[in-house]
Amino acid sequence: MTALATPVAASAPQAGPTRRHLRWLLRLHRPALYAWGALVAVLVLVLLALWGPLLDSSAAAWRDYNASCAPGSEHCRYDQNAIIRYRDVYTYTTFTMNALPFLVAAWSGAALVGRELENGTARLAWTLGLSPTRWLAVKLTVPAVLIAAGTSLLVLLHRLAWEASQGRVDTAKSWYDDPTLHANGPTAVALALAGLAAGALAGLLIRRTLPALLLGLGLAFGLYLLAGLALPHLWPTVSNVTGLDTGYAYEGIEVDSGLVTSSGAHIDDPGCGTTTTDGCAELYTKLDATGFYVDYHPESHYWPLQLTTTALLLAVTVAVTAAAFVLLRRSTATSHGRREAAV
Amino acid sequence: MVEYRIDRHSGVATYVQIVQQTKQALRLGLLRPGDKLPTAREVVEATAINPNTVLKAYRELERDGLVEARRGLGTFVRRGLSTAPADSPLRAELDGWAVRARKAGLDHDDVAALFIAVLDTHFADHDQHSQGDPS
Amino acid sequence: MTDTAMAATALGKRFGRRWGLPRSGEAGTGGGWALRDCTFRLPAGRVCAVVGPNGAGKSTLLALAAGLLAPSEGRVTVLGTDPASARARVGYVAQDKPLYPQLTVAETLLVGADLNPARWNAEAAERIVSAGDLNPKARIRTLSGGQRTRVALALALAKQPELLLLDEPMADLDPLARHELMGTLMSQAAQHGTTIVMSSHVVAELEDSCDHLLLVGGGRVRLAGEIDDLLAAHARVSALSEAADLEPHTVVESRVTGRQLTALLRPAGRLPDDWRPTRPSLEELVLAYLRNPQAAPLTPATSEESAV
Repeated sequence: MTALATPVAASAPQAGPTRRHLRWLLRLHRPALYAWGALVAVLVLVLLALWGPLLDSSAAAWRDYNASCAPGSEHCRYDQNAIIRYRDVYTYTTFTMNALPFLVAAWSGAALVGRELENGTARLAWTLGLSPTRWLAVKLTVPAVLIAAGTSLLVLLHRLAWEASQGRVDTAKSWYDDPTLHANGPTAVALALAGLAAGALAGLLIRRTLPALLLGLGLAFGLYLLAGLALPHLWPTVSNVTGLDTGYAYEGIEVDSGLVTSSGAHIDDPGCGTTTTDGCAELYTKLDATGFYVDYHPESHYWPLQLTTTALLLAVTVAVTAAAFVLLRRSTATSHGRREAAV
Repeated sequence: MVEYRIDRHSGVATYVQIVQQTKQALRLGLLRPGDKLPTAREVVEATAINPNTVLKAYRELERDGLVEARRGLGTFVRRGLSTAPADSPLRAELDGWAVRARKAGLDHDDVAALFIAVLDTHFADHDQHSQGDPS
Repeated sequence: MTDTAMAATALGKRFGRRWGLPRSGEAGTGGGWALRDCTFRLPAGRVCAVVGPNGAGKSTLLALAAGLLAPSEGRVTVLGTDPASARARVGYVAQDKPLYPQLTVAETLLVGADLNPARWNAEAAERIVSAGDLNPKARIRTLSGGQRTRVALALALAKQPELLLLDEPMADLDPLARHELMGTLMSQAAQHGTTIVMSSHVVAELEDSCDHLLLVGGGRVRLAGEIDDLLAAHARVSALSEAADLEPHTVVESRVTGRQLTALLRPAGRLPDDWRPTRPSLEELVLAYLRNPQAAPLTPATSEESAV
């Protein structure tokens, strides 16, 4: 991905190779560029609305609700539509942002790489003067920059819109709500880049448009699951122990929970409830339980979790990208790796 | 300037066709000393034959002393090929022979076959050109 | 090395892995070797015909030379270096003439200029395209097969390659365009000394244009060399069958009809005059080898061996 740093050839009068290769790529993928630009623009507008007017009307409605709809009050008047509109727009927008990595992976697998290998235009580019390595480097670098820029902007706006809603909209999503978590921070950017790399690898593996699209989607989904599964374990948790009569008390992402015994050991929670429930006190005595424990991530862990997960995803992205380059170099003749390329 | 017509089915090797057509043009006065032959590039662009074939034909013509290659300029005619003039003694003898052949009952094809057979006997070295001819 | 345009030593390519099959379907030898033990040397400035039946390995050979495939064994050098290093100086047109379908003709030529600015000859590209009466604003996907071939050749020629590799270049063309484009190719060879390698399964198509032959069959090189030399090394004979002893000669093909024996062979010495030896045509020679896969190959490697 560093190939764009090649110095401009002195012999090229008007444009260096970087600009020429950029022009080639944009000529081929102009519709995709426009589509991406339009998608980002629409989402930016929606997020701005979510941050401004939609939030204001929803917050006003909640204020009215809380003022006039206390139990027993007679004139419960508030703008329910404003509340529903805000919630729906927030949900769909957040969902769309979560779907971006899949969109990118599908496009990358099908249109960026798979189709070119299927109909032979990749070979055309290679024989016209773009080496396979450079071909893939240009194909990945330019979209990577555009995707990173677009998703970063969206994440920033989403974060601002979400922060503004806290305390003003009663049903505002918590920081650890899954879709919100992945739309609010840099993991979203890393996932989109991972999707790009996964699609490219799928395209190089399968060399067919449609199967590469599906494999790209599959790989991106795997990475999405991996990120979700890994995230809670990438930073030490905070443990909270509460009495048997109070039950679990935490606000954040739970990693582990159960009962604490008098010796301090952690055992499984039989699921009885607090001691206020009939029979539970006896059960807990029998189990020698003294309280509930929960290992979790409080909101203060938000940035450590986001950053470690982002780092993990970027590492996987680099590995997938490297695999794509190795695959390409093995299947085509290369000036340096010819010997190792021989099967 | 001459324009070569290559007949792929004539059975005559391509370069021989070029040599023959050039000589024919010299005899007919289409090409005169000092004239320039078409470049190999011009010939192959028009006929789609291999450039080396044209160069081979030109080398042959050069060996015969008919043309000369001037470096960077092209290939030029050095001398013309005179056919025997109409009133030459040779022509008169042949004329008389043809009359006798006709009287002897030979038709056009018989005379032609006979003539070529005699040509082949006396100009055997000329036949070299046609060696590439598979027929 | 500069007088060698292309050389192969024990070159082989095996397709077996599921994803590695080429689109052109040249792996006709059943998931095994598409090309094997391929050794030859092509001097610079030649127009070389690569002939052989479909699936013989012609496309694989050209793709290896273009650096589009990595060899499974052996090596191939082009223009004195490895194929990857020579890419900028080599033109290649694949059998299915891939082009970006979404671009116009004019945009396609701009792509060619952007990808190889140092050698690009825009004038040549436009001349070839305009000779075909193509609308520069027409999208590639709307073009006929012959028109696509013209654009693909324009891209390859405008690059001003030292070596031009063409895989079945004329298959989609009508006779008029075929003659005109072949003329353009020959003119390129005459003007710049470009080495041209073109494959075809129609020998007659190449007979006048090529001076070098590479006959590929069953993934191996059967004949390699100057066409004149190859023709001179063979003779067509016909003799009385009971009197003829073909023993000392290498027989490519022989047939007995009644009392007459006809054969195409490589004479090991002087042939009796009453065998009436004649020089075969290129097509006869190629067909004889294709009909008789067991016939001993004649390549520079084998002639060197026999010379020792």
